Amino acid sequence: MIEVVNVNKLFGENHVLKNINTSFEPGKVSMIIGRSGSGKTVLLKCIVGLLIPDSGEIYFDKREFTKSNIKFKTQIRQELGMVFQGGALFTSSTVEENVRFPLDLFTNWSKSEKQKRVDFCLERVGIKNANKLYPTEISGGMQKRVAIARAMVLNPKYLCCDEPNSGLDPQTAILIDRLISEITKEYNITTIVNTHDMNSVMEIADSINFIYQGNNWWQGTKDDIFNTDNKELNDFVFASELCKKIKKETT
Amino acid sequence: MVIIANIGKYFFLMTQVFSRPVNRRIFFKRLLQEIEQIGLNSIWIVAIVSIFMGAVLTLQVAINFENPLIPRYLIGLSARDTMILEFSSTIICLILAGKVGSNIASEIGTMKITEQIDALEIMGVNPANYLILPKILAALFSFPFLNLMSIILGIVGGLLIAIFTDVVSVFNYIYGLRYLFVPFYVTYSLIKICFFAVIITSISSFYGYYTEGGALEVGKSSTKAVVYSIIMILLFNLILTQLLLT
Repeated sequence: MIEVVNVNKLFGENHVLKNINTSFEPGKVSMIIGRSGSGKTVLLKCIVGLLIPDSGEIYFDKREFTKSNIKFKTQIRQELGMVFQGGALFTSSTVEENVRFPLDLFTNWSKSEKQKRVDFCLERVGIKNANKLYPTEISGGMQKRVAIARAMVLNPKYLCCDEPNSGLDPQTAILIDRLISEITKEYNITTIVNTHDMNSVMEIADSINFIYQGNNWWQGTKDDIFNTDNKELNDFVFASELCKKIKKETT
Repeated sequence: MVIIANIGKYFFLMTQVFSRPVNRRIFFKRLLQEIEQIGLNSIWIVAIVSIFMGAVLTLQVAINFENPLIPRYLIGLSARDTMILEFSSTIICLILAGKVGSNIASEIGTMKITEQIDALEIMGVNPANYLILPKILAALFSFPFLNLMSIILGIVGGLLIAIFTDVVSVFNYIYGLRYLFVPFYVTYSLIKICFFAVIITSISSFYGYYTEGGALEVGKSSTKAVVYSIIMILLFNLILTQLLLT
C-alpha cells in the first residue's frame, strides 16, 4: 500500500500540491485524473521520489520514503516499476537490453536465468520477435509494452504509470490499459496510473483521485462518477458531447 | 548570480558523479564503451589535423626563417616545441571540445528530455555517476594517448614537408627535433591534457544533465557546452602554463 499524507509542493509562489491525503491499495489500479497543469504529474513524481515534497510524508507499506536516506530509497526503488509517458527506453540499447538492464544492475543471476526472465516478461506483454530491435525501430504501442516489461522485470510491488497510453490509438490504448490491469491483479501490485484519458478510467480504474487546482478534490470509483454532483469533476469528465450523452443515458 | 548558481550546481553534480558505482561490472562495460566513443572515435580527426598542422607549421616557419643568420635546424625545433607545448594539448582539446563536448551534451540532454535519466533514478541508479563518471575516466585515459599521437603525427607532417619539398633538409629537420629537447615539456603537455579532459567531459555533461525543454534546448546546451569548455580550456591553459613553466 502507498500512503500519501499531507503532501504539499510549491514551485516558488506556485502552490502546486495542497495538503494531499490519499492511499493506494495493492491489487488495484488507482487512477489519478485531472486537467493538464492540475498537479497530477507532480504528485506522481513526489510519490516516486523524483520531486521532494515541501512537507508531508509518503509511505510504502508503512515505510517512510520522502525523508529516508539514499540507501533506503534505492532499496524501495528496486521494488518500484515506472512506465513513463514516452516510454523512456534507452535508445542506445535493444529491446532485450532495456528489459534486462535492472536485472544486470541488481541481481547476481546467471546469463541464462536473466534471459529466461526477459523472455518471460516480453512474452507477457505480447512482444515477439523484437528482442534485438532498437526502440526507434518499433511502434509507440510496442515501446509502451517494452516499458511495462522493463518495469515488471524485477517483480515490483508498486507500479507507477504516467499517462501510459498517451499518443496511442484507442485500440492500442485499451490493450495497454488491460495489460496494466492484468499484471496488477496477477501479481497483486499497487498500481497508480496518471491519466486524463477517460476511456482508460472507465476501462480499468478500481479507484479514482481527481486532482483539481492542486487539491485532492474527489475520490471514488468509476461507478461513483456517474452519480456525483461534484461540478468540477463533471465538467472534467463530461467535457465532450459524447460523454454528456453517455451520462444522460446512464443516469 | 546565474554564474554563481551554475558553479554551485556544477560542484553539486560532481559530488554525485564521484561516488561508488552500483555495479562494477556494468561500470567497466560502460567505461569501455566510452573509451571507444570518446577516444577511439576521435583518432581520425586528431590524426588528420595533426599531420596537416605539422606540415603547415613547418612550411610557415621555414618561410619566415629565410634569414641566413638563423640556423635551418631551428625549423625542426620550433615545429617540435609548438606541437608539444601548445598544439597537441590545447588546440587538439579545442577541437575535441567541439567534437566530444557537443556529443556528450546532446546525448545526455536528449536522455534528460526523454525521461531516460528519470527512468535510471527510479530504478535506484545514480544517473550522474552512471552516465558521467565513465565519460570523465574514459577521457582521462584516452586523451593522453591522443596527445602523444598528435605530437608524433605533427612532427611526421613536418618531416614529410622536409622530404617532399626543399624548404628544409631532412638532416636539418631531424637535427632540430633533437636539439635542446626538454623532456618536461611532454610531461607539461600531458598534465594539461588531463585537466582539459576533465573540463570538456564534466562541463559538457553538466550542460546536458540540466537541459530542460525540448530539442531546441538540447541544441542550446550543446552550444553552451562547447563555448564554456573552450573558455575554461583557455583559462586553465594560462594558469597551468604559469604554474608549470615559469
